[in-house]
Amino acid sequence: MRKAYGFLAAVLIVCGITAASTIPTVKAAGPTERYLHVRVQDSKDGGESVSVNVPLSMAAAILPTVNKGKLHNGVVHIDNAEMNDIDVKALLEAIKNAPDNEFVSVKQKDEDVRVAKQGGNLIVHVIQKDKDAEKVDITVPMKIVDALLSNVKDNEVDVAAALKALGDAGGEAMLITVQSTTEHIRIWVDSNGNPAE
Amino acid sequence: MVILGKIALGVFGTMVAGVGLICSEGFVTVNVVEHQPEQHHIFVMAPAAIMPITARFIPADKFDKAARQLKPYMPTIRAAMDALEKTDDVTLVEVKNAEEHVLVRKVGGSVIVDVDDHDDHVHVSTPIGAVESTIEQIASSQSSAAWTTHSDGSNDDEDRDTQ
Repeated sequence: MRKAYGFLAAVLIVCGITAASTIPTVKAAGPTERYLHVRVQDSKDGGESVSVNVPLSMAAAILPTVNKGKLHNGVVHIDNAEMNDIDVKALLEAIKNAPDNEFVSVKQKDEDVRVAKQGGNLIVHVIQKDKDAEKVDITVPMKIVDALLSNVKDNEVDVAAALKALGDAGGEAMLITVQSTTEHIRIWVDSNGNPAE
Repeated sequence: MVILGKIALGVFGTMVAGVGLICSEGFVTVNVVEHQPEQHHIFVMAPAAIMPITARFIPADKFDKAARQLKPYMPTIRAAMDALEKTDDVTLVEVKNAEEHVLVRKVGGSVIVDVDDHDDHVHVSTPIGAVESTIEQIASSQSSAAWTTHSDGSNDDEDRDTQ
């Protein structure tokens, strides 16, 4: 009979271990997860709204595994022909080392364009004055520009390093907003996985 | 009498251990509720561990095309699943329009998909580990006939991987 009790105890131990394996493990407190958010809202009545939230750690883990076209190991190869022989790396290096300034300001009948460096960010504003009245604001922290261009060849950009830099940066960073009469697009980074609309 | 008791205990213990093992990967749940006046409700709950096991019993030639298409993306799928499992709970995708509302979330160790439209509400919850095991099973279940081996020992899939 004692053997039977022993066997029963062994069965209960096995069941206990199996059941314990189903309990989710408590995560160790690590660095706060950061998310890349994309919102597209159709301004029309009853229009569609699309919301995508990607954990940056997930994007950073996936990107180096994608080897297709010009993207290899998180690095994008840019053909010289596409850049019209402009040395983008040298250009951005010059912007990085320059003080805050307005680099380009174009005012036309149908479009205004402004490119500036302000508070450690590279800023591009485009305002179209046609019937769509599209307004584009792009804000790229210089740290991201730096990460894109460091440790790669002249005709390459390191997207994986840029993602890592985005993840390491603190606070909320609005990267792109596009506002037109028909839609509103926003791309930003923060630490909130379920942001309210 | 003691022998019978031991046998019964052994059978019971094996059953409990088996059930524990099958349930160890969590459960897949599918819940469909129709919005019609005559409301139908479908609810299915199954141990997630049976997904890869079921895939194992499906003839390999049925998965030939899927396996060929999946194989080049397996490193990406593995990385995505591992990262998804480690990340905090998050709403991955939400699409809202006048017709429907689609929500894809990661909650705990599961991916949850909710689709709500005029006709019905569909809720599917699947443990991430089970999704990964099933995809691995499908990707590896290529029949030998589907492999075109070249004279150098390589095959079509290896060629595609290196492109």
